[in-house]
Amino acid sequence: MTMRIKNTILLAAAILCAGVLKAQKPENILAAVGTPPNPKVQVSWNRYNDYAAITDICKKIAAAHPDLVKIESMGKSFQGKDLWVMTITDTKVGLADKKPAMYIDGNIHSNEIQGSEFALYTAWYLAEMYASGNKAIQSLLGEKTFYIAPTINPDARDNFIHAANTAHSPRTGLIPIDNDRDGSTNEDGFDDLDGDGHIVMMRRKNVNGRYKADPADPRRMIMISNEEKGEYELLGSEGIDNDGDGFVNEDGEGAYDPNRDWGWNWQPNYIQNGAYKYPFSLPENRAIVDFVMKHPNIAAAQSYHNNGGMILRGPGALEDVDTYNALDVRVYDALGKKGEEMLPGYKYLVVYKDLYSVFGGELDWFYGGRGIYTFSNELWTGYSMYNKTDGEDSQNQLYTFDKDLLMKDAFIDWHPYKHPMYGDIEIGGFKKTYTRLHPGFLLESDAHRNMAFSIYHAYNTPKLNVTEIEVKDIGGGLSQVTAIVTNDRMIPTHSSQDVKNNIETPDLISLTGGTVVAGMIVTNRDMNFTTEQKLDPARIRINNIPGNGYVTVRWLVKGGTKFTVNVSSKKGGTATKTN
Amino acid sequence: MKKFYFFNLFFLLFVCRSFAQGQQDYSTNAILAQRVKALSEKYPQWVKSKSLTQTAGGKEIWMLTIGSGKTETKPAIAVVGGVEGKHLLGVEMAIGFAEKLMSGIATDSIKTLLTQQTYYVFPNMSPDATEQYFAKVKNERSGNAIKTDDDRDGSLDEDDADDLDGNGKITWMRILDPTGKYKLNPDDPRSLLTADAAKAESGTYRLLPEGIDNDKDGTFNEDGAGGVHFNKNSSYNFKAFIPGAGEYAVSEKENRALFDFLFDAFNVYAVVTFGPVNNLSAPVQFNPSGIAKRIITSWYDADAKTNALVSERYNKITKTKDAPKTQAENGDFSQWAYFHYGRLSFSTPGWWVPKTMPDSARKQKKFTNEDPIPNYLRWAEGQGITNTFTPWKAVAHPDFPGQTVEVGGIDPFVLINPPYKMVDAIVAKHTDFLVALADMAPKLDFINLQTEKVSDGLTRVTVKILNGGDLSTYTNVGDRSYFLKKITLKVNTNASQTVVSGRKTQTIESIQGKDFKEFTWLIKGSGKVTLEAGSPTTGSKSISVTL
Repeated sequence: MTMRIKNTILLAAAILCAGVLKAQKPENILAAVGTPPNPKVQVSWNRYNDYAAITDICKKIAAAHPDLVKIESMGKSFQGKDLWVMTITDTKVGLADKKPAMYIDGNIHSNEIQGSEFALYTAWYLAEMYASGNKAIQSLLGEKTFYIAPTINPDARDNFIHAANTAHSPRTGLIPIDNDRDGSTNEDGFDDLDGDGHIVMMRRKNVNGRYKADPADPRRMIMISNEEKGEYELLGSEGIDNDGDGFVNEDGEGAYDPNRDWGWNWQPNYIQNGAYKYPFSLPENRAIVDFVMKHPNIAAAQSYHNNGGMILRGPGALEDVDTYNALDVRVYDALGKKGEEMLPGYKYLVVYKDLYSVFGGELDWFYGGRGIYTFSNELWTGYSMYNKTDGEDSQNQLYTFDKDLLMKDAFIDWHPYKHPMYGDIEIGGFKKTYTRLHPGFLLESDAHRNMAFSIYHAYNTPKLNVTEIEVKDIGGGLSQVTAIVTNDRMIPTHSSQDVKNNIETPDLISLTGGTVVAGMIVTNRDMNFTTEQKLDPARIRINNIPGNGYVTVRWLVKGGTKFTVNVSSKKGGTATKTN
Repeated sequence: MKKFYFFNLFFLLFVCRSFAQGQQDYSTNAILAQRVKALSEKYPQWVKSKSLTQTAGGKEIWMLTIGSGKTETKPAIAVVGGVEGKHLLGVEMAIGFAEKLMSGIATDSIKTLLTQQTYYVFPNMSPDATEQYFAKVKNERSGNAIKTDDDRDGSLDEDDADDLDGNGKITWMRILDPTGKYKLNPDDPRSLLTADAAKAESGTYRLLPEGIDNDKDGTFNEDGAGGVHFNKNSSYNFKAFIPGAGEYAVSEKENRALFDFLFDAFNVYAVVTFGPVNNLSAPVQFNPSGIAKRIITSWYDADAKTNALVSERYNKITKTKDAPKTQAENGDFSQWAYFHYGRLSFSTPGWWVPKTMPDSARKQKKFTNEDPIPNYLRWAEGQGITNTFTPWKAVAHPDFPGQTVEVGGIDPFVLINPPYKMVDAIVAKHTDFLVALADMAPKLDFINLQTEKVSDGLTRVTVKILNGGDLSTYTNVGDRSYFLKKITLKVNTNASQTVVSGRKTQTIESIQGKDFKEFTWLIKGSGKVTLEAGSPTTGSKSISVTL
């Protein structure tokens, strides 16, 4: 089995190399619209990458686009793997950390691996489209910065990929946990009984069982009706009672949930399964929180999960309903509704009421703790199989889709096995790469759509402009200088969660030229309503510049005729104008 | 050569030790380090010490493990001091407990206790803050040395208190001002009370901590030195965005280091905190509505009953009385120890200003207002304690030109830290309590073993597992937490013996104090089998059964 994996990797590496070496000549190619025609880094977007492959792709992108992409490690995973993050911006136009930024990560749940490919695709697309001369992306990377972390759970990602697993295992990281509380950790996980590299289902012939083979597709087990006699009983996922305690597979890898570990309304594992010791007690999440705290320019965030086709916003918990106030919800709604248009089959939903009510999730900390507008997308939806909403029998659809479009590649056929405890059984079922993960041919397409949604989100982070400087002589040697600062995008410089809790420092609008003797915020220019700022009047502090809105400030100045207004905002970037 | 070395070491120890015993005041971190070291060097077979981490201020977080052999396998009590940085007494009680306990090591009872159980002692969780007691200018502080933006204005630590009268203490300042909300307390005009407008009372003073408005933002001393409070940074009932809380729960190195240790210490069955909360003088009350929601706010009934039992023992041993009611603040450690750590959590400040009675000989009257300061001053006077109140004295204040500003008031630290000479007796009583608490620990025993011959070669074995201790094997709150282990019960058989009915290996849920659970098996074969039961909070027991 090891041999097989090795060969697969070698083969994959060979294909990758071949791709790089034999880069298509531009003259042989007609560019398909919206896709980089002749990328410097060739990547196949119809398969999944382990940590080594991800590292390699990140480094190649950074090496090929030195003015656009920088790679660094946010910290180490439990097993000591670097948590890569790519900083992507046009470094010839301003510093990365002075521009409004979008943070994107994937794979917090280790079995939900395609988030990494989606994040990688985004990084690759931005760099390659910029390089191919696309004006929209060039302008975007002039104004914005992207921080992209393809996998934030690399240990367990590799476990998912290289060890025998189901589509659902592991969801966790790899710190050992004593799930059954008997004093031993990870002592009874799955067992790949037949050594084929897959953990699938066990069934046993039993006339008293409640299942039979589906006449339409005998691979499928269906429940019998009340009048019928059964054929089979189902015995769960492949495994044995390794520790002899009468339970099968009850204490496998890890089993905490990295998405219950975030420092917003965190609750312990007895209140909800999955929490570890305390907020950010997992090294991977701690590295991210440290990174985010060091990058106050992050104004938008996206995390990738699977599955079900959802664009999720918080609150995660019913108890947090009041945290999300109307002003911010308006921004979320505008972004989310647009997402529904861009991602067919995806629904814009709220975690606590449409999914489940949970504490300590990543999107809640980003928004609650830092005031950052954040979505979690549940990638892959059954809608994509036949481009229609799941029918009555979505289970059946999994079998027909596999048969008709995947050439039965997703299923391990039932085959006999002699189990030490259950006796004569059969083993079979869907591979881990099916039901939650995209089939190869749909991977790039959905990655592209989700990337486009993130670009829309990032585009709508604040863009500040000084649009007017009016100078009026008011006598006594004093000039009255009035300036208007606009925010031309949907997202405010401070979400109302941020304003309410003074999370980020105010925006500063400062005046140079002349001696400022008084400074004020103009609340109504026509009525001349103002609020004076007594302390440090040359630098007016503004709590927020609203999305698609503006603020007016005014100074009384002695001397000078040439004035420069500078705006500096942590999440909104900078702007300047001279009269 | 070697001999000399040991001799010198011994001599040094002796010096340190006698220094600690002759101590006249609370412990600086340097002295605490000496006391910790002296203990582990004098009793190497019983006491191990280590530093868990260093704070932002470069101070060690000490930990003592007191016990013998494989201490991690024996039921344990964690003793935590210095959770509140203003509370020097808590530090003294924790380290003092370790010293008092060890001074009794020659007695059989202590020796037996330390063979069977373990104490983990964390004398000071707020060393950056407690050090302020010894500073040139004494200023009560709870935060560590992390620089924070308490007023969230973008500047760090830019408006600290200032010693305006130059007496080396940060006290208070009162400003004569008809917009002020304070008036003089008629019981004792040295103290001020809030004026109640609803009773047509006029305020005459503003009352602020001593200092100037360094950053000229209109508020005084709102962002001084001192960052995150250990006792505001725990995950239970954590409140973000308030000064001292930290950006998120358990953000600080010392909090993380302690929690990391404790979560891996599955043998801890109780945590005793010497800090602001008091559930030992009066136990918590069970409140059914507090456990009806997902996020619980009440102790479970069974655990509250245990608290009552322990509280009774505490009052009997320490003979303390009239304890003021306490209210846990957001992020409190002792609350965390119950609600998030899932262990029995007991906490006491150890000392409070006794209730005074008017002394008619001195023509004292009964107080008419709730105000701790007059009570303190009256008590201090009776004790002959001086120099803990700074008489109000006018100063020229740059922020209040032309106004009468006086600096004075109650000195820092004195309301919660008794004169040092009283500490030894407090430590002694609380040492007795901690020893008595260990005596209440869960204890497993196999009782009423019965074997019945069902048929040739088939035996029915029945036995009760009794928890002979007063405390449960684990708490009700910890019932669903994977950080508390269940009791594992095993039937150890040889190759020719089989368990026909009953589980060969099983885990058992919590057993309350003095309660039991019964188990039965059918075992095929002959000879002897052993039954073995154990968990980290109970230790292990086994019994041999002849089939």
